[in-house]
Amino acid sequence: MAQTDRGSWLERLSNRIFAIPSVAQWWARWRAGRMPAVIDPATGIPFARLAKPLAQCRAALITTGGVHRVDQRPFDMENPDGDATYREIPGDVALAELTITHKYYDHRDADQDINVIFPLEHFRDLAAQGVIGQVAPRHFGFMGHIDGELIQVLTRRTAPEVAQKLRQDEVDFALLTPA
Amino acid sequence: MGLIARAIESVGIPTVAISLARDLTEAVGVPRAVFVRWPLGHPLGEPHAPAQQRTMIFEALKLLVHGRQPGQIVEPGFRWRRERYNEPNWDALQNPETLDTP
Repeated sequence: MAQTDRGSWLERLSNRIFAIPSVAQWWARWRAGRMPAVIDPATGIPFARLAKPLAQCRAALITTGGVHRVDQRPFDMENPDGDATYREIPGDVALAELTITHKYYDHRDADQDINVIFPLEHFRDLAAQGVIGQVAPRHFGFMGHIDGELIQVLTRRTAPEVAQKLRQDEVDFALLTPA
Repeated sequence: MGLIARAIESVGIPTVAISLARDLTEAVGVPRAVFVRWPLGHPLGEPHAPAQQRTMIFEALKLLVHGRQPGQIVEPGFRWRRERYNEPNWDALQNPETLDTP
């Protein structure tokens, strides 16, 4: 798989430290503590149920690990608030055509084997095996690490846009994988 | 990631997420998540470890089929690099009554 920006040595060092699970959990607690409330007590957490048996379901993959096709515009590594846009990944993409642009986590393992973060190959197998019905015609790559004003861009524009595309594609469920 | 899951679930499409940061997943109110205490960047596990990766997919699909409660986070407790994984019993997903409740 092609390699792209990995960030400065300082960013790489910081990514190694944050890869330690106890550090990551400490960071998650800290972030969660200073986050504005997302869960509206009146409406709660949105929840839909599978409408059919798994073996008939069409599955889409969504990742915030910065995955995209090599010929697509890379994610913005300059804006400290991140990049709230997304890339459409065709269901029949060759895995060798995928790359990762994301300097805020250590993706050396995912560069070696994209299934670590974007398990399309396994989903193709599961469809062939009949565990799921089929793999969706397109999947979506986001870059996590979104902050500031861009959170609104994600929640008001790009995330709802992807949700509508999944409906157009008659997707029955989505698996989400973080970085 | 949780905000994207919520947007998708809001249009009526069920989602299941893998979480590597439990407190954030809880605070955001992700509809369903499987949490593992693993290094960031490894939601499915190690590279070239198909049984481990497929086990994580199985755990996620099990919660998708079985979950009844919005915001449920299951924790299978897999230790990093200290587990042996076998190919999951996929047939069990088609007969939810044969599965343990997550």
